[in-house]
Amino acid sequence: MRRPKYLYGVLAAALLTAVMLNLMLGTVSVSFRQIGSIFMGHGDSQLLNILVNYRLPRMLLCLMVGGCLALAGAILQGLIQNPLASPDVIGLSKGAGLAAVMIILLFPGAPVGIIPWAAFIGASIMGAALMFIATRFELKPTSLALSGMALGAMAGAGIQYVTVKHMNDANTALLWLAGSLWGRSWEHVWLLLPWAIIAVPLLFYLSFRLDVLQLGDNAASGLGLSVRHIRIVLLTAAVCLTGISVAVAGTIGFIGLIAPHMARKLTGPIHKHMLPVTALLGAILVTFSDVIGRIVISPREVPVGIVTAIIGAPYFLYLLGKKK
Amino acid sequence: MTATDAVTRRVFASYLFIGLLLAATGFIWSVSLGVTDLRWNDVLQGLLGGKETKEQLVISTIRVPRALVAALAGAALAVAGALMQAMTRNAFASPQIFGINAGASFFVVLFIVFFPGISSSALVFAAFAGAFMGGLLVFILGYSNDHRTPVQLALAGIAVSMLLSAMTEGFIVLYDNQTKNVLFWLAGAVHNGTWKDVHTVIPWSLTGMMIALLLSRSLTILSLGDDIARGLGQNILFIRLAVSCTVIMLAGSAVSIVGPIGFVGLIVPHIVRHWVGVDYRFILPLTAVFGSVLLLYADIVSRFISYPFESPVGIVTTGIGAPYLLYLLLRRRGRL
Amino acid sequence: MKKLVLHSTLVLWVCILALAGCSTAESTREATASDQAEARIIKHEFGESTIQGIPKRIVALEYSFVDSLATLGVTPVGIADDNKPDSIIAPIKEKLGEYTSVGSRYEVNFELISSLQPDLIIGDVSRHKEVYAQLNGIAPTLLLKSHGATYQENLSSFPVIAEAVGKKDEAEPLLQAHQANLDKLKASIPQDEQRTVLPAVVNAKGFFAHTSKSYAGSLLESLGLKDAIHSDEAYPQLTLEQLVEYNPDVLFLMKTPGEQTIIDEWSKNPLWGTISAVKNNNVYEVDRGVWSLSRGIISAETIVKEAIGQLYP
Repeated sequence: MRRPKYLYGVLAAALLTAVMLNLMLGTVSVSFRQIGSIFMGHGDSQLLNILVNYRLPRMLLCLMVGGCLALAGAILQGLIQNPLASPDVIGLSKGAGLAAVMIILLFPGAPVGIIPWAAFIGASIMGAALMFIATRFELKPTSLALSGMALGAMAGAGIQYVTVKHMNDANTALLWLAGSLWGRSWEHVWLLLPWAIIAVPLLFYLSFRLDVLQLGDNAASGLGLSVRHIRIVLLTAAVCLTGISVAVAGTIGFIGLIAPHMARKLTGPIHKHMLPVTALLGAILVTFSDVIGRIVISPREVPVGIVTAIIGAPYFLYLLGKKK
Repeated sequence: MTATDAVTRRVFASYLFIGLLLAATGFIWSVSLGVTDLRWNDVLQGLLGGKETKEQLVISTIRVPRALVAALAGAALAVAGALMQAMTRNAFASPQIFGINAGASFFVVLFIVFFPGISSSALVFAAFAGAFMGGLLVFILGYSNDHRTPVQLALAGIAVSMLLSAMTEGFIVLYDNQTKNVLFWLAGAVHNGTWKDVHTVIPWSLTGMMIALLLSRSLTILSLGDDIARGLGQNILFIRLAVSCTVIMLAGSAVSIVGPIGFVGLIVPHIVRHWVGVDYRFILPLTAVFGSVLLLYADIVSRFISYPFESPVGIVTTGIGAPYLLYLLLRRRGRL
Repeated sequence: MKKLVLHSTLVLWVCILALAGCSTAESTREATASDQAEARIIKHEFGESTIQGIPKRIVALEYSFVDSLATLGVTPVGIADDNKPDSIIAPIKEKLGEYTSVGSRYEVNFELISSLQPDLIIGDVSRHKEVYAQLNGIAPTLLLKSHGATYQENLSSFPVIAEAVGKKDEAEPLLQAHQANLDKLKASIPQDEQRTVLPAVVNAKGFFAHTSKSYAGSLLESLGLKDAIHSDEAYPQLTLEQLVEYNPDVLFLMKTPGEQTIIDEWSKNPLWGTISAVKNNNVYEVDRGVWSLSRGIISAETIVKEAIGQLYP
């Protein structure tokens, strides 16, 4: 049980830095002092506009999406008992992706704002299929992960077919698939906020059960808990958390893989301690990645999902190396 | 032993016969179906290399190399999968799941982005480098699998693949003018196969398959476990190295031409093992033949998904392979 | 310790939310109080927009709108040019003054657009409808057909743009002049022209036909040239076999200059020689930027001039 005394302090500082950078940096930069004066209610109206209409909702979305994806990853890793599980690996994101790509490319006349709902439904269908397989066939969690991968591959083939057939518009779909917070606004914040609020208490409710799962099926039954029941609840939670974040931001990868890992390193495996840190790390990572994506090739943008993949790569290789 | 051996041999011979028959039929079908209307006479003339009429030219310069590319790539990917499954003793090992396909595609896209004028023959070597990178990861993973179950190892492979394909997609998004049209290839495509492609891929795939056959006895022993193999005097490190190189040769050359086609390397060895058991002297030739069969027929199907325009063959193999993987998982659920 | 941090984060949250809440209310646009001119209502693909007076600072989010604005003699203050100034073709560029790049056409940079303080934004209906509310929050926004539009669709948005920038009266004469220019060029096409044409984008990985559902294809068709394919798909990918089967009499290969393409490979195949266009030496290489990216009155005339010049030397 390693838990550095100042861990939360450091994390809070990192989060605050990420948040401030996210608010300050961009094609138009806003200084610390300017943010201050805007806070006080007397600032440049132009900057105020940029801050309130673009930066603030984006920053809030970064926090929530990062937190939710990281939590979904942590839950799945606990559930599947494998540190390499994540929402992308078990195909949830692919389900959301297929639904969104179909709306974007096959139904260009669809009403505005329907993509998040479609994506959420896509992820839910994928989750439901997994759940069905898991309960119907009493699959071991690891096999469940591979089944998810197989389902994900099918959805992936669907995505490829649709994009290839609409090559000319493919980039719009690819940007969504890469995971991007471009053009997201308050409307999306309000969409995500209730879920993020529910997620916090839920996370503490679930942490004990996740810990119990790690003790093995017999121990869980010994405590009077139905393992099967716990698994269904956990999978549902992971599907919802993934579904809503992917719905809003597209399929941002690797946060669900890396954040829980880092958290486990910092706090040890007890979920009560690990889950809050996971959520914080996820939020920090996405917030930082978003800033980077916004400034490297300004005035263009690198989708945040690509930045997280690039940040994720070295960490991942480091993990592989360590596994020896 | 000898009695069962004789039975296996008979089973092997009959499946080989069926496989070759199917492959031949698939080949003829592949050659005769398409947007150009052909008479059997043209098909025959074209197969014999006739170049007189337009129809014969279509056969001899487009359909035949296309079918050959499909057959070769199918065989190469399937054998690569069989080799990986033997080496890692992992039922889920395959070029796709263990990151080789994704590695090769990543490098191809990378080279298209940074060297926009690159020729397609140079891209082959980019794919080799990428497959090598993927293969290196396989080797590292294969070396450290002592405490891992097959499914966990497969998960690691999938995660690596996902990382590589995420980066590939990233490059495609950022450099869309150069790369947008790679999408079709990324989904797996044999429809632009030419004689040049055939000539590029033949030396690699034939050499690879020869080496694989030479190694088949050692593979059988290796697939029983390191301790047994060592006890029987096998140089495990050498075998692993040779197998890894062969996998890269086979999968890399195939992917560079036809793109990262999935599931061929996973399901074909499985089905074949189900027929003839654990002896890789029997498994490998059958795997090669049925790999060809799978891709030949998948290619024919892909022509008719949105006729008269082509669809990527990879979505057909995924459509067959992913449900099969599910079936496999559900059937073996007690043992994983 | 943990409690403390939790509490402080919570406080931070509440602060941020409060700030957000109160400031969205006041951020509703005050800048519309421009010169007290008459308000004009412009109908576009995504509803109606009210424009006060004559817009002076216009942001164009697709190349085709730049073409239209240049035709009208207006330089936009901001253009979504993917941050590649060279992607704007020469005949248009020479009509433009200074402008600011506002990023990629897929993900336009709201911050930059907002800081340019535009009074009119013209966006593409397929690419920008999801962010219409945000664009409209910056300035009155028109969404018109551009990406994937045919020549006729593209042309039909010209009067809308002209009206929006207060040059309604100039639209008709400009369109007539355009038609006259085309007619003059068209005159060199013989009455009994039976040849089929096929414009196509070619690159290292494939051959993408642009049928009469695409911009270049529909433009050539409007001249009376026959489309070699007739498909519902605008940009189908063809194999050599299909190309031979469609057997176009004229090929316009749109490519990025200097790039190796699949044609290098195909031209070695004897079948390539059986295509009517190849047999009769009617294969022309053209600039992809002009033929497929730009789209508009100036581009159309450039394309037609090039096509006619090569077909009827």
